[in-house]
Amino acid sequence: MRARSKRRNLFLAAAFGVGLLGCQPKDNIVKIAVALPLTGDLGSLGQGIKRAIEMAVNDASSGPENSLKVGLAVYDDRSDPKEAVNVANQIVSDPSVVGVIGHFNSGCSIPTAPIYARAGLVVLSPAASNPELTLQQLSPQWQWPRTIFRVNTTDDVQGSFAADFVRTKLNVRAISIIHDKTSYGQGVAEEFSKRFVSLGGKAISFNGIQVGDKDFKALLTRVRAENPQAIYFGGMFSEGGLLVRQARELGLKMPFVTDEANYDPEFLRIAGSAAEGSYLTFLGKPPELTESAKDFVSKYKARYPDQEIKAYDHYGYEAAAILLEAIHAVGSDRAKIVEYVRKIHHTGVLGVTSFDEKGDTLNKTITLFTVKNGQFVPAE
Amino acid sequence: MQLFIDQLVNGLTLGAIYALIALGYTMVYGILRMINFAHSEIFMLGSLFGLGAIALTAHLPWFVALPLAFALSLVGCAVVAGTIEKVAYAPLRRVSRLAPLISAIGVSIVLQNIVFLWRNESLAFPNLLPSFQVNLGFAVLSGLQALILAVSIILMVALHLFVMRTQLGKAMRACAQDPDAAALMGVPVNQIITLTFLIGGGLGGAAGLLNGMYYGSIKYNMGFVPGMKAFTAAVLGGIGNIPGAMLGGFLMGILESLGAGFLPQAEWKDVFSFTILIGVLIFRPSGILGERVTNKI
Repeated sequence: MRARSKRRNLFLAAAFGVGLLGCQPKDNIVKIAVALPLTGDLGSLGQGIKRAIEMAVNDASSGPENSLKVGLAVYDDRSDPKEAVNVANQIVSDPSVVGVIGHFNSGCSIPTAPIYARAGLVVLSPAASNPELTLQQLSPQWQWPRTIFRVNTTDDVQGSFAADFVRTKLNVRAISIIHDKTSYGQGVAEEFSKRFVSLGGKAISFNGIQVGDKDFKALLTRVRAENPQAIYFGGMFSEGGLLVRQARELGLKMPFVTDEANYDPEFLRIAGSAAEGSYLTFLGKPPELTESAKDFVSKYKARYPDQEIKAYDHYGYEAAAILLEAIHAVGSDRAKIVEYVRKIHHTGVLGVTSFDEKGDTLNKTITLFTVKNGQFVPAE
Repeated sequence: MQLFIDQLVNGLTLGAIYALIALGYTMVYGILRMINFAHSEIFMLGSLFGLGAIALTAHLPWFVALPLAFALSLVGCAVVAGTIEKVAYAPLRRVSRLAPLISAIGVSIVLQNIVFLWRNESLAFPNLLPSFQVNLGFAVLSGLQALILAVSIILMVALHLFVMRTQLGKAMRACAQDPDAAALMGVPVNQIITLTFLIGGGLGGAAGLLNGMYYGSIKYNMGFVPGMKAFTAAVLGGIGNIPGAMLGGFLMGILESLGAGFLPQAEWKDVFSFTILIGVLIFRPSGILGERVTNKI
């Protein structure tokens, strides 16, 4: 061989040898992948869930001695479906991951679900509420195991509940509906509309806004001309807070009803005094009102004294707790974990969680909230 | 008819803010042929400085606190814009056309993230103006709307007078027309460029303060969408053209409001306004008031 190619081959052999060194078996670390929006508009919500998950892992590790150490692999999907798919591909290529907690937005969860299912990874979403996420598993195109679960209930439950309330309790006959065109916001608005109309109500208009828009004066001026008896909004708090604020500024006094994504101190901050009297549906019961979760609230406050508890933190905690229970029961085999989760009856911060054949939680409680004196309080 | 006028008022107010931001984009483009992508963050910083100023002057009556807050946002943003120019753009001007552009994107990301790391949630922005209405007979404006329109028009007229009637303004126009010839004429081009950034930044800051008061809350990412729309407005009116930016801004605001108000589905408003933009550019590629640049043979 010529000297140059001999040196090259030596180098390649050495590189290969070093590469082999990295292939030693790691000592029993399994990972839970966490895929949430950690930056961007919903970054604060994602960060809150991440903190709750870390707390859950910490709580579980201080239990009985286990041979399996559980670590977290955290990914940021920025609420962007394209980024979410990237993240999903990264997650499934990591063999030490045994389960996924995520995503947050329905728009991110739905396209990534087939990727995880193909890899046999269990997915526990703490917040995605569009029914399609788990429904797609029942369609004939779904050729993979059913590994998608969620600990929160779905928008058909939420939208219908809101419609029942608005039609029967508030006696509203004509309503203007606004949504934010996302999988979630438009989804829940459509469910609301379906149920409201079936109860004999009239949806005067069904208009969309763009996430990120700040000025809704034109839309609300138009809504004012429609003279509805109430306004329903499906979407997130950044837009919800601005909508109710601008509505009041324009002289619209009718009830403002919205979804659980607005159950956030941000909504109150953005809307100011305009939030007073608004109604919100909430998936499940908030931790402060659940016996089993009172512990969670005090532990969270102790561990993170500078952070306020965000709307989905206890969902993240529960998702992590369920996954950890599964890992400690059956080990690191992905398929076994999926089967364990499928049959689980878990008691925790959300009350009792178990799943139906789609993977939706059977816990379909919805709590109605209103804003009184600048605080969220349970209504009626 | 009343509805139409109401929507027009909404549009003019929105457009006034777009116009102020658009001026920053157009002036920098006119002089440097460069899009200052960090301008939307200057706008965001304007509201932040305004909020800080209001917090500091909380004990003063509103007619003292408000002008003070304006002064502080204007000056603060001018300083930030000038610093960005010196640090991130000027050293790269000779390198290539693209380098300052990419640097601008980088500055935008840095500024957004600095604020995000400081406070990632919305901050409430108080409305210092006492509640009143301006009745023009055919339209009723809220006090804030009247303030926004008045302040923007004053600033735009002041800018126009400055650029058209003063020596410095003449120097700016000279640099925009031909920087080399201007340098040969004794114009300190680099300093004029810095001045352009200062003025553009100041206007963006004022827009930020007004925006903060109008919508009542500010956030680290509030600059992105208005920045994009204002840039579009600048292009619509003729990028590089100062009256063009003002016209473009108001036009974008009105189109958006009328679109949201009268299209069968309000969510088509952006399709509507941007289709009109494309239409205008097809027939007048340099924008409504843009110069027809003839090819010199």
